Amino acid sequence: MWKYIKSLFRDLVDEYFNEFRFVFHDGGIVLFFCFLPLAYPIIYSLIYNPEVVRDVRMVVVDHDRTAASRELVRKLDATQEVWVTGYAAEMGEARHAMNSHECYGILEIPAGFGRRIGRGEQAKAVLYAEMSLLLRYRGFLVAATNVAQDMGSEILAQKIDLTLPLAATISTGDPLPINNVSMGNIENGFDSFVMPGVIVLILHQCIILASGMAGGARRENPLLTGYNPTRPAKSVAMSMLGEMLCYITILIVPIMFLLHYVPLIFSFPMAGNPVEIFCFIMPMVLACLGLGFCFQGIVWERETVFVLWVVTSVAFLFLSGLTWPRYAMPEVWKLLSDIIPGTWGVEGFIKMNTNGSSLAQVRPEYINLWILAGVYLVLGYCVRRWYVRPKLWRKARALQPAPAEQQPD
Amino acid sequence: MKELPVKGFKAIFLRSVLQIVRRPLYWVGFFMLPLFFFLFLSSLMEQGLPTRVPAAIVDKDGTPLSREITQNLGGMQMVDLKESCHSFTQARHSMQEGNIFGFFLIPENFQADLMAGRKPVITFYTNMTYYVPASLLFKTFKTTATYAKAGVAMSVLNAVGGEADPALLLPVNIVSRPLGNPWLDYAIYLCNSFIPCVLQLMIFLITCFSLGQEIKYGTSRRLLQMADGSIFKALAAKLLPQTLIWIVVVVFMESWLFRWCHYPMHGSWWWLTLSEVMFVLASQGMAVFFFGLLPNLRLSLSISALLGVLSFSLAAFSFPIESMYPAMGIFSWILPTRYNFLIYIDQALNGIPVYYSRVWYVAYIIFMLLPFTMMWNIRRCMKKPVYVP
Repeated sequence: MWKYIKSLFRDLVDEYFNEFRFVFHDGGIVLFFCFLPLAYPIIYSLIYNPEVVRDVRMVVVDHDRTAASRELVRKLDATQEVWVTGYAAEMGEARHAMNSHECYGILEIPAGFGRRIGRGEQAKAVLYAEMSLLLRYRGFLVAATNVAQDMGSEILAQKIDLTLPLAATISTGDPLPINNVSMGNIENGFDSFVMPGVIVLILHQCIILASGMAGGARRENPLLTGYNPTRPAKSVAMSMLGEMLCYITILIVPIMFLLHYVPLIFSFPMAGNPVEIFCFIMPMVLACLGLGFCFQGIVWERETVFVLWVVTSVAFLFLSGLTWPRYAMPEVWKLLSDIIPGTWGVEGFIKMNTNGSSLAQVRPEYINLWILAGVYLVLGYCVRRWYVRPKLWRKARALQPAPAEQQPD
Repeated sequence: MKELPVKGFKAIFLRSVLQIVRRPLYWVGFFMLPLFFFLFLSSLMEQGLPTRVPAAIVDKDGTPLSREITQNLGGMQMVDLKESCHSFTQARHSMQEGNIFGFFLIPENFQADLMAGRKPVITFYTNMTYYVPASLLFKTFKTTATYAKAGVAMSVLNAVGGEADPALLLPVNIVSRPLGNPWLDYAIYLCNSFIPCVLQLMIFLITCFSLGQEIKYGTSRRLLQMADGSIFKALAAKLLPQTLIWIVVVVFMESWLFRWCHYPMHGSWWWLTLSEVMFVLASQGMAVFFFGLLPNLRLSLSISALLGVLSFSLAAFSFPIESMYPAMGIFSWILPTRYNFLIYIDQALNGIPVYYSRVWYVAYIIFMLLPFTMMWNIRRCMKKPVYVP
């Protein structure tokens, strides 16, 4: 019994160090472990780093040309979101500007705008927005709503004062102030919204790609598995454990960089407790390793991981519910997203990091991750034990008689 | 039986077709993954907008006025008032746990303060961590609060003896007209940009993969022999079957998006189809260029994957290019999918004359010409194939 445990332990240590040698001799895997988690989040964050969309270009067609219409345009131009680049004489000219991609919105102020305000009627203006990008439209809408309400309350206050001079003593200014507070992502920034999720997905994909590529490399050259006909076979569980420990050792620095330093560098919201976040992400790492072991079952060649797996990042981003919330997903896709570790990793991480939840508050996600980790590791074990390993060893046995020619250069 | 040719264009073409047919990986890359994405993205956002956003109300007043506001809020299309919390802390915890995306807070003594002119403050909180539902919620909360305020102003006017004109609820009204997508449908906005971008990624990867395989397994020498040493002939015959498959896939995509899903299509089918076909050729050109730059299976796949995945952000589908740092934004012009997106906007969504998109079509041609600058390098490496893992 003691001997058995000792042999298991020796297998584990053996495999652990072997795996280091294996990983660091493979440029592709090193690239996945270094470039992907270190450079990728930086490039990605830089793209969105300006955070908010400012000064979207707008052209005005003013058929009214009164003080009131000019005030409306001036106020719109003064908002953060809109930049009035110029006046157009008529709609044709404005449309030409929009078609030539010189502006993304046209404000048409009808004749009689100022007069209607003076008469106490509702004055209308029309804003035509180009709909290629929703963020631009959102900017226009926010600016237009704010300006309309601002002008509206001024007119209202005037009206009250005019009706009865004494009214001012009863109620001055705004009778019911409205306040809105953005929680979590307090700047309403796009980078702070999308990146925390992307960071977790980068880690997710990095582990699966690296582990898939390692599996492919072994399949191409099964002698790398350490096949030796004179020695009894190594325990599958121990070799998996050894590989996992090796990957986790390599990944400690990238994980800390991704989850702590990237948000720090780009000043994303960081409301969570770093130790709790680290604890939270561990089961996701294990689940990804398990998924990676399963993935090894279909990777026949090192490079096929690119063709098969890279594009899934896009699907995982959507399935995580970051852009399209989970409550509005069709049932099928919700089920699919349930079995992806990244979904729960992203959900939990953004809740902890951005909204400052504690580990206890993300309990459902945490439990799901542990369940997934268990399931995928067991599945990975089965794939390794009954599919990948016999295949590899058959091939290795065939190659064994002439090992000298099979030496990789 | 007719004998298969061993040399020439036709022979390479057939060899390439056989390679594709025999390897399940190509089936996955050409058909299964793209089709999955067509179905996935368009059905995920079928609803158009994620309406019925879970939200909560914190009514600390409990008077007829505050209950009326609650009722108004509950009647709005966008929200689903799931919870009624007793305190700010309770609502915040619920938000942190992800049960709700925002809440509306009516303070204590709200009605009394309002009647006495002590100006109570209505506050609403939205969890901007989730951009889309929070934005919808924000809009709904703001509208409800504004109506409440207008109601108060009317009663003040009534109280002082003035006539309460409904026009005063909103004296200045800026009506927005979202052109082309009046439903603000999220699927229209995302599928039309993301699905071609998925295709671009797959075209990059498969082109580089199929060329890299020749070098990895040392079959490139035979390929060159079959083409009588002409690298141009070898590449053209090798990639033509792929081009044909991709053209079928993009035409299917076009019919999927605009016929099956009924996304807006206000322009000419011919120009759009031309754009899609040129998009395939441009993406392949770009991929061959990468391969010429780094004639190594793994490195060319790495750069394809890097640029292909970054395209989803760099091509400015969601965050406008003029808001990016210029040093970042400039990279969006080196992506075929960016031009595909711009032409789609002009020709399908807005349906404007093709004159305005002429430059984008020319850009495609530049991508198609790119590989010719690298032919010498591909030829050199195909002659002496070395596999570097």
